Amino acid sequence: MSHGRSARWLLFAAPIVFVSVFLLIPLALTFAISFWERTGFTIKPGLSLDAYKVFFSGVRLIVMQKSLGFAAVVTVLGLLTAYPIAYFLALRVSPRISQTCLFLFAVPFVINPIIRNFSLAYILGRTGPVNSFLTEIGLIERPLDWLLFSDFSVILGLTLSYMPFMIYPLWLSLTGINRRYLEASWILGIPPAKTFLRVTLPLSLPGVFAASIFGFVGTFGESTVPIIVGGLGYQMMGNTITSTLDVLNYPLAAAMSSVVAATMLLFLVLWYRMFDIQLFLGKITLRKF
Amino acid sequence: MQYSRSAQVAIWIYVVVVLVLLYLPILPPIATSISPTGRQPAITSVTFKWYAQLANNPMLIESIKTSIKVALMVGFITPLLALSAALAVRELKVPRVILLLMLLPLFIPGISLGLANAFFFQQADISPSFWTILVVHVLWALPFAFLIVLTAISTFDPVYLESAYMHGANRWQAFMTVELPNILPGVLASATFSVILSFNETVRTSLVQGPLNTVQTYIWSRYLQVGLSPSTYALMSLLILITLVLIAGLLIFNLRKGGSERLNA
Repeated sequence: MSHGRSARWLLFAAPIVFVSVFLLIPLALTFAISFWERTGFTIKPGLSLDAYKVFFSGVRLIVMQKSLGFAAVVTVLGLLTAYPIAYFLALRVSPRISQTCLFLFAVPFVINPIIRNFSLAYILGRTGPVNSFLTEIGLIERPLDWLLFSDFSVILGLTLSYMPFMIYPLWLSLTGINRRYLEASWILGIPPAKTFLRVTLPLSLPGVFAASIFGFVGTFGESTVPIIVGGLGYQMMGNTITSTLDVLNYPLAAAMSSVVAATMLLFLVLWYRMFDIQLFLGKITLRKF
Repeated sequence: MQYSRSAQVAIWIYVVVVLVLLYLPILPPIATSISPTGRQPAITSVTFKWYAQLANNPMLIESIKTSIKVALMVGFITPLLALSAALAVRELKVPRVILLLMLLPLFIPGISLGLANAFFFQQADISPSFWTILVVHVLWALPFAFLIVLTAISTFDPVYLESAYMHGANRWQAFMTVELPNILPGVLASATFSVILSFNETVRTSLVQGPLNTVQTYIWSRYLQVGLSPSTYALMSLLILITLVLIAGLLIFNLRKGGSERLNA
């Protein structure tokens, strides 16, 4: 029996060990390396704040501020787009239709966002279908320049990349709502808008929060979309990290990456403390453990 | 709680418009890959010469081999880890911690995850290889695979296990003969999903691949060096089609097994 027992523990421990070794330790190591010293092309352990000084004193700070702003905008746009869909699928259609729709939203998400954004660049380009169509019908005289390689295209590209997956946590929290609360509200004669604001929305907050973390942190650290639809010189946090790596400044890349990861951890800890993650996954983990 | 008919129609239109917006970008690469110029989408005359060109590129063939090897291994390892994590959620006393840990890779931007692993392998003196790519892909696919398996497990009533114990089965036997057959569709779905995610990953891979390339990192590095070429469009179209075929397979399999009922039980 003791043999079976240890085998069982080994089995349960495997995924936990895997994520700890290959994610938690590497993230901690990245944080440590952000304080290391650069000696030529190599790095050695140390307690230097150089990387952070460079980070917070130059153009990279502006890049970070801009990325934070964009992340906030994309998160809000993503929520505004995804919430009505999630609400509709969770509360207004039959489970079968809702499953099919959720599946349909998952398909574009799994196709490499890089490929999807190449397409977006074509669609928005000077000779792309949008500009051709608008010129054709005489709405504009010459192609719109701001459609591509602009803040507009970056925000659109990021939203289209991250929004589809934001539907899922929202849907999950909305389906978890006990319908009796909504019925009670209806019986009491409370108008639908008020029921939504006072009952549905507050109860769906765990999902709103989870979707926001996913969208916010994802866009904050996104490194390819800004290049593709923003143009090669377009600087956001993610691709600035990549270009820092290209010049082999590892501590600086580590510092910037750690700021991104720390933002995520901060939100995640807040989420964990504010809401019951198990309750949130209720639909999935309904069993009493 | 009645909804007016026009509101119903409006929201349906909205859902369809968003879906169209999301699916639209899938078409241009395919239409470009079969056009004679290979630069602009065209469907007036069709050619497959750009696809034929792909076969003459040894570097690309290597990257395709790497991608397939990695994807198959990811499709094998990830569901096992996901299954064991999902069982741990039920069996161990700390479900919330395990849930958070397993979902963590989902919330970490690709660049941070890739960089962290690159540093880790560098400091641990592990040179970039097939295995480092594998680790990063399994990490990326794990949260999704985990959620899928968790869904399957939650719809299985442990009372059947009790009954197996009463008939003299030990834990292992009960799991293998009673529970596993019940949740197998979920496990297979998570395997397929892991393969798809592995096949479509770029950023995390590019930081730990060393001298190797996967198809996706090959496309990305070609784009950075020379922009998009006709054969790149052909390659992207192939990747899109493979992904769609895998998804269609998953859908058909799930419909046959009554997957949608299972998810809503």
